[in-house]
Amino acid sequence: MQDFLAYTVLGICLGSIYAIAAAGLVVTYSTSGVFNFAHGAVATASALVYWQLRFDWHVPALIAILLTVGVVAPLLGVLLEVVVIRGLRGTSEVTRLVTPIAVLLAVTGGSTWLWFSNNTRAIVPKKFFGENNVKILGQAVYYHQLIGVGLSIVIAAALYVLLFRTRTGVTMRATVDDRSLLMLNGGRPDRASLASWAIGASLAGLAGVLLSPVQGALQIYALTLLVFDAYTAAIGGRLRSVPMTYVGAMVLGLSRLYFDWISNAGQRWLALRNLRNALPAVLLFVALLLLPQDRLRGAIISRTRERFHVPSIRQAVAWGGVLIAVVYMIQTLMSGSAVISLANAMALSLMAISLVLLTGYAGEINLAIFTFAGIALIAAWQFDVGPRGLATKTSLSVPAILMAICVCAIVGGLIALPALRLRGLYLGLATFAFGIIVNQLVILQTQALHANILGFKFTVNFFSTGSLTMPRPHWFGINFGDQRNFLMLMTVMFAIIGVGLIALRRSAYGRMVVAMKDSPAACATLGLNITRLKLGVFMLSSGIAGLGGLMWAGQGRTVANNTGFDGFASLTLFMIAVVGGIGYVSGALLAGIFLSLLSVVMPNIWLKLGHDYPSLHWLFVSVIGNFTKFVGPALIGIGLGKNPSGIAQQIMDGFRPLRKTPAATGAWVAGLVGLWVLAWRGVIGNWTFALTVIASVVLIPLLIKSLFAERFAGDARARHGEDLDLIGLDRPFRRSDRATFDNALGIVGPQVEVADGAS
Amino acid sequence: MALLECRGVGMRFGGAVALYNVDVSARAGAITGLIGPNGAGKTTLFNCITGLLQPTSGTIELEGREITGLAPFKRARWGVARTFQRLELFTSLSVRENIRVAGDIRNRWARGARVDPRAETDHVLQLLGLTALADRDVAEIPTGMARRVEMGRALMTRPKILLLDEPASGQDERETEEFGELLLHLCDEGTAILLVEHDVSLVMKVCSLIQVLDFGSIIAAGTPAEIQTDQAVLDAYLGEEQKA
Repeated sequence: MQDFLAYTVLGICLGSIYAIAAAGLVVTYSTSGVFNFAHGAVATASALVYWQLRFDWHVPALIAILLTVGVVAPLLGVLLEVVVIRGLRGTSEVTRLVTPIAVLLAVTGGSTWLWFSNNTRAIVPKKFFGENNVKILGQAVYYHQLIGVGLSIVIAAALYVLLFRTRTGVTMRATVDDRSLLMLNGGRPDRASLASWAIGASLAGLAGVLLSPVQGALQIYALTLLVFDAYTAAIGGRLRSVPMTYVGAMVLGLSRLYFDWISNAGQRWLALRNLRNALPAVLLFVALLLLPQDRLRGAIISRTRERFHVPSIRQAVAWGGVLIAVVYMIQTLMSGSAVISLANAMALSLMAISLVLLTGYAGEINLAIFTFAGIALIAAWQFDVGPRGLATKTSLSVPAILMAICVCAIVGGLIALPALRLRGLYLGLATFAFGIIVNQLVILQTQALHANILGFKFTVNFFSTGSLTMPRPHWFGINFGDQRNFLMLMTVMFAIIGVGLIALRRSAYGRMVVAMKDSPAACATLGLNITRLKLGVFMLSSGIAGLGGLMWAGQGRTVANNTGFDGFASLTLFMIAVVGGIGYVSGALLAGIFLSLLSVVMPNIWLKLGHDYPSLHWLFVSVIGNFTKFVGPALIGIGLGKNPSGIAQQIMDGFRPLRKTPAATGAWVAGLVGLWVLAWRGVIGNWTFALTVIASVVLIPLLIKSLFAERFAGDARARHGEDLDLIGLDRPFRRSDRATFDNALGIVGPQVEVADGAS
Repeated sequence: MALLECRGVGMRFGGAVALYNVDVSARAGAITGLIGPNGAGKTTLFNCITGLLQPTSGTIELEGREITGLAPFKRARWGVARTFQRLELFTSLSVRENIRVAGDIRNRWARGARVDPRAETDHVLQLLGLTALADRDVAEIPTGMARRVEMGRALMTRPKILLLDEPASGQDERETEEFGELLLHLCDEGTAILLVEHDVSLVMKVCSLIQVLDFGSIIAAGTPAEIQTDQAVLDAYLGEEQKA
């Protein structure tokens, strides 16, 4: 009984801090409609700022906390709102989720860059009033914890007064209900949104400062994940109700402490030791199950800004062939290490392509792609290695691959089930929570599990030695252990899956999937069982992710249990895939290339430069190198709000002129092939080749456009919208202008009469 | 017996009552008008009939079988189809694909009675005068035409009853006239149509029965001639002071 009381007291202390963090999340979401994935990063950054002020610069505690929570954190919130969040109006749910993810990665990266570039000093935040404590119900409670409880009560009261008793609060609540109506009534939604982000960031900052001493030395990712736990509480409050959020936070805090108590701090059941860290994610699933069914929504915005064009199957096959040919040609010129980078890119592209189906076509979200890679890896490895637990095979077998794909599809279906009836955001959060659970309970599992099914005994080893070795396939007499062969295998796979996806998109099934994304309500009234279709798409996409993950593991050969399974890598992959152009197979290809460039190639270049010029080492490695590694990818993601259709679309638009000038295009391609032959025979250097190709890719479309300007006149007008009022004044009226007018006004010309007459 | 029968349907959102004890019916082979001022609850009633909203009270029957409580997709399979006042087109698809996909969906559930979606699509496009627009992006066609696309989509499911939510808005006079003839043609083929429309001349012309909804309640029902002289209707539309 004494223990029970003691753990209850501690649980309430922890729950109070969760409540503060979760309340901030609810305030931002309920006003701006954007789920702030960056909440944890803001908390962590604030904790670091507080540490800097308090312990590095020795500012008095009260001033330090006021500066952090009252000035720095709110300013950060305001900055995010103005620079990033405002651009998200009228974008799809996916874009509105990805941009905060980019902010999360940017803030986390920025903090790493500022505080952890010189990996030498430990940052150890201390509690307020040190170790001073009082006994409550026999349990020593630190003053620090009491402050947390006290503040959470004050904040609850303050939020209530703000939201229900002040004009600002009413405006904030009205913003989400009907923004335009609010404006007509003289409200200022922009201001309300700004205020909510300032308050949200401030609460995140406070929670960060209060949580930071828990871990001893501050670790950015660990602290950020700790704040993620508060998301569960916010979901418990349906992202709307502050009181329910407080209840959720208390449940969260108490369950964590009770688990500590029951499991004897994790010592009782070793296999479940990490459940403590996964508990919030488990509770998130429970909360999702308890959420009421969403009303079927129509297209909230009649026309989102994202538009994707679909190539014909014939085009897709042609481009698949081009891809294989180009990769083959390029790799002949590449050194061994460059081939590894390219193969790495292709492996990541194979993982990203699963998102083209899921997110690009169906509009659903999976934030745990690397988790599926891990599951596929474990399944295939277990299958090939067999019950005795000894690695004997040198080739990855086809049955193992098929098995891994099936396991991923089934697991994907199971985790999607509770969230399918809810909106995309919740499915995204469910997958993220799933990623955390799998990471804690399976991938970081050090115990081998002994199973005895129907007298058939076997041992399941997850990553019991900390890593798994993945053999590469050896099929059709070709040894794919060879890096170049393996690259070509992955390229062919990518091309086949890509063509397959485009064929799927062009089929009846594909039309249904896209229709479901555009308007679930309309689909339901046409007789479509949306839940079933979503489930199918999610399973298929999980299977593809598993296949990609196997290739990714094969590419790395040895996968350690700390490579990308903590959730951040999946978030990055998702973000980059959306930036690349989530509606396009080529977008997935670009995503793999970017990710490989940013995470492997660029840092190597800076390292090499730092090595070559030791006096500038600090600049290249500490400043630029770390910047591109930590902050660069995120900045790209933040730019997404401006161009939600992604980079692939922009590139295609750039090359559109080439279609109308086949002769010039042919000459250019022939020139490129000629250059390649020269480089291949060693007549010109590889760098010359690379630079010429890059320069021509940038310049040729522009050149062709200016040389054949006449042909594109109509095009440019349609796209850039020549001022129609001025046609005939500016320049003489042409016959072709009539079509332009008809087009703009939506008049169909004389044919419509014929059609009507026929009916 | 009516094909569709709503009995005592009520819908409240928190404290606000959107529908109160509404009885509405529609017969096969006839066009039933449902009129009323903005905010009277017409679209809410449609949402209750199609299952997008679950009414807080009352029952809805189709051909004598109760469909209250069924999921929207099941009601669609029983033969309820609709268009939306706020357009719900599939903006990633062309006009033709918007209509075609409804056939694809139908083929998924109507196992015994599959149709050739391609031919059926061409037929519906022609019926609605959309052939010339077929390969355009739905986002770039005018609203009046977009409403026809929604109607074409609904027709692809071969519904027993068609709920049309302001189909004529955005169409010009000539188009509306053609549209009225199209509706009459459809109901000649045996389809029941429940028509919500603000274009009173269209309603008076094509409907055989009109029901008037105001503040969530049915205030009048009758033939067009009866409705035109009904005092309650005049009050609702023209305001109380006109009475004096």
